[in-house]
Amino acid sequence: MSDKTTPLYVVCSPCRRVGKTLVSRLLTEFYVVNDRPVAAFDLADEGPQLADYLPDFTTIADISETRGQMAFFDRLIADDVGVRIIDLDRRVFKNFFTVVHEIRFFEEARHRSIEPLILFIIDPDPKSAKAYAVLRHQLAQVSLLPVRNQIETAAIPYGNAPSKVNMAPTSLDIPLLDFPLRALMDRQSFSFSRFWRGSPADLPASLTPELSRWVERIFFQFRVLERLLGCA
Amino acid sequence: MTKPAVVLIGGDKGGVGKTTVARTLLDYFARQQLRVRAFDTEVPRGTLKRFHPDVTDVVDINHVPDQMRIFDTVNSTDATVSLIDVRAGLLSPTLHALRNIGFIEAAKKGEITFVLFHILGPSIASLDEIVDTAAYLGDAKYFMVKNFINNTYFFEWDEATHAAYFKRIPGAVGITIPKLVEMAAEQVDLASVPFATFIANQKQSGAPASYSFVLRGYVRHWLETISAEYDRVNLTDVLEAKESSRPPIGRPRPIIKIAES
Repeated sequence: MSDKTTPLYVVCSPCRRVGKTLVSRLLTEFYVVNDRPVAAFDLADEGPQLADYLPDFTTIADISETRGQMAFFDRLIADDVGVRIIDLDRRVFKNFFTVVHEIRFFEEARHRSIEPLILFIIDPDPKSAKAYAVLRHQLAQVSLLPVRNQIETAAIPYGNAPSKVNMAPTSLDIPLLDFPLRALMDRQSFSFSRFWRGSPADLPASLTPELSRWVERIFFQFRVLERLLGCA
Repeated sequence: MTKPAVVLIGGDKGGVGKTTVARTLLDYFARQQLRVRAFDTEVPRGTLKRFHPDVTDVVDINHVPDQMRIFDTVNSTDATVSLIDVRAGLLSPTLHALRNIGFIEAAKKGEITFVLFHILGPSIASLDEIVDTAAYLGDAKYFMVKNFINNTYFFEWDEATHAAYFKRIPGAVGITIPKLVEMAAEQVDLASVPFATFIANQKQSGAPASYSFVLRGYVRHWLETISAEYDRVNLTDVLEAKESSRPPIGRPRPIIKIAES
């Protein structure tokens, strides 16, 4: 892998309301906090969307027709974009991966030192497991990591210990968060990067440590992922 | 020694994609490293020649000297395969003429390999050509090509109609050419290069081009599907059949005018 490899994250699930946009926001703002160039792509059509939270970093894309696919995929492999994050709505899940497979997009991306990682948010719905299995088979050469979002699907078992640095993670874990913080986080005005750099004025002081620990836990996992992708 | 092969691509109905199929065959033969020469009958400017200028001559299939140029040199040319893209309306007259000059008979005797790609369109008028065409073929290898230029079904939803056309001719083999994304087809047309050259992101001269990666991907996927079809029907085995022990084809009888232009 080249020293200049940059990651391309595809945050996806065939199910709705599993937290794709939350994970996409966290990823994007992780790179903002670290002053790394980042471009996010919003393929969602149910609000609120990534573009609503991060308009300065997000491009809305429509891949339903060829022209939109050209504008989207041709741009993704351009040299000057930086880290790429795709928030993939369930409605375009199948079309996206069909096109990716047909045009061998991930193969071309790797050829250009762009390392793809699919972050698949798992869900108890049977179609989630089915879709995961299909992706695993169809894209065997691409990294595929399940994401357990405890906020949306608390039934999924959550491991207590964070990943060790030198162990390959078997999943990305988004821990549970108390309701007041979840409500705060859902506001379009809330920014993880602004929080990270200094607490927002409207955040109760008692909640700051919990949110800090929560964000730190997730950002730590992102750093581990980057190192494993060879992109750090 | 390998027998010379003549590959005819035609269909009397216009707009069914004959030249597109001819282009895919030229790309396939190049990948198989077969030496090919091509004849484009769309006088005067040609259509196939624009994409494969190095191997293609524009000929008037009605013109006796051009007929001699094609059929008198089948044995003497360096090319293993002579591909003829027959323009719309001339398939039946061409086959009729080939029969009259003894070409079909020569194929029957095993002196040459004769292959017909009959390009069919999704209409009864096009499918009606099948029976007429089959009457001329003798031992020729007959490929019925369903070229999906649009979202057609070729009457697969009506089993009786489908069987009446596609299962009627013993020995005929079906080939399916899937639909290519329209914008990709247009871009290749605009670029005036072989499909393989477009996929490689090159111009006709070999210089780098800047075609869309997405469109190149669609063309590659499409061409690979078609190559798999040609592999499935053992096309190279058909074309590389060994030469028979019989004497080479003699000078043909006088050419009969095929049709009015």
